[in-house]
Amino acid sequence: MNTRIEIIPDKLNPRLPGGFHLPPFGIHQVLALMIVCIALWAIGAIWLGMQAASQWVGSWQQDIHIHVYLDSADKDQAVKLKQKLETIPQITTVRKISAEEAARWMQDWLRDAGMNQKELAERLPVTFELSLLDEQEEFLFSDIRDIASRFGARVNEDEVNLAQAHHWISQARYLVWFASLILALAMALIISNTLRMTLLARADEIHLMRLMGAQEWFVRMPFILEGMILGAGAGFIAWLLLWPVVLGSRDWFATMQVDLSNWVLLLPLLIGGSLVGTFGAVIATARVVSSESAT
Amino acid sequence: MIQMQRLMLRYPTGKTALSGLTLDISQGQFVYLIGESGAGKSSLLRMFYGGIRPTSGTLRVQQTDMRSAGEAKVRELRRRTGIIFQDHRLLFSRTVFENVALPLRVQGWKTERLIPRVRKVLAYVGLADRLWSYPEALSGGEQQRVAIARAMTANPAVILADEPTGNLDIDTAGRVLDYLMKLNRQGTTVIMATHDLHLLESHPGRVVQLHNGSLAGSGM
Repeated sequence: MNTRIEIIPDKLNPRLPGGFHLPPFGIHQVLALMIVCIALWAIGAIWLGMQAASQWVGSWQQDIHIHVYLDSADKDQAVKLKQKLETIPQITTVRKISAEEAARWMQDWLRDAGMNQKELAERLPVTFELSLLDEQEEFLFSDIRDIASRFGARVNEDEVNLAQAHHWISQARYLVWFASLILALAMALIISNTLRMTLLARADEIHLMRLMGAQEWFVRMPFILEGMILGAGAGFIAWLLLWPVVLGSRDWFATMQVDLSNWVLLLPLLIGGSLVGTFGAVIATARVVSSESAT
Repeated sequence: MIQMQRLMLRYPTGKTALSGLTLDISQGQFVYLIGESGAGKSSLLRMFYGGIRPTSGTLRVQQTDMRSAGEAKVRELRRRTGIIFQDHRLLFSRTVFENVALPLRVQGWKTERLIPRVRKVLAYVGLADRLWSYPEALSGGEQQRVAIARAMTANPAVILADEPTGNLDIDTAGRVLDYLMKLNRQGTTVIMATHDLHLLESHPGRVVQLHNGSLAGSGM
């Protein structure tokens, strides 16, 4: 009999259940990996969009000025308007742009329009350039509009809208966080469902382990690990699949002084994916009841 | 090893499975639990490993009070108990080795230490050459021998067998009993519920008879 034992080779790593040994990877896990990967890819793409928007806004927001135009040629009016604008605390400087400078700039901008600079200077309104200390101040633009309207002047609303873009981006950031959380919850439920199927398929094994005196962590750990690895794996694949987006749009974004970095998403996707997977696994294993448990 | 005093078990449905059982089982005994279907044999065995708790009375198994024992104590008791089921409950998606190694794995044995022990117990039941086979490739008798190997692999003080020969022919059942008797001679207490009364003649042991949940007779 001993001779027969000798001829059977030992498997170096036998597949034993429980503890830190993962359950076998099957079709359900592959499907869950794909679905979670798609969801994480969508989250990654949204955050790349946020990154692009922030960079785009940041590229011109550092140097933003608001222009106020006064049609009246009354010098006294212009001085008073300037003095009033200077009283707003969030405005650092109010510079009156000379008609010649404005005309030069305009002609430079229009280039081949063939306009006479002197004639142009006479037709342009008196222009004030406001440098802002903090464009996020709540009533800043209302105050500027209010003062301008009292003197019959106009504020360049396009510049105001650009200056307020950060506000929309921060609002969008809340929405993106909210969407990410909802998608994370959906992913956790998908992983939880997948693991629930694995748990059902392995109910006999779990029951037997409990009958043999296995501790609860020992029974549940393989499933928690599987959830964590599923999530992290999906996060990594999603990150890889974001590269074509980043590389494909690089030239287009370069025209807007935006340089997207996919590397900053690697850790968030990996850690976020594994957290979501672990959470799903905890939900799945929370109520794994065997008929003859030790309690 | 096991002491019972006026032991009673009532299921949540209201059915009384066992009542007024007073019985002692000493270490090293080979005990047959006999009785008609529904007499309470399986319920009594399940109480011995904490699968169900007594409703009233006293039950002490290996110095553990089964009415008040906490989760950890029951777990500890189960590690010192081998269980064999009528349907053997082998894991068909796992090899013979993995099935037999399960109790040791639960107790935290390292793989290097596991393999020689599993080889030894499989050699004991004559299945050393089926180490990496799957249970479905084995005959009914061989499957039950794997179940015996699994029950004895952690060297338990007591083996509880719930009709282990129920699905086997007379010769195969006799051979399964031979293994259990051999284990018993080495000091393991064996408690076996059975309907096969003919086995009592070829493999004598202490007979405890249950009838309608009560003790109908007990040899010493």
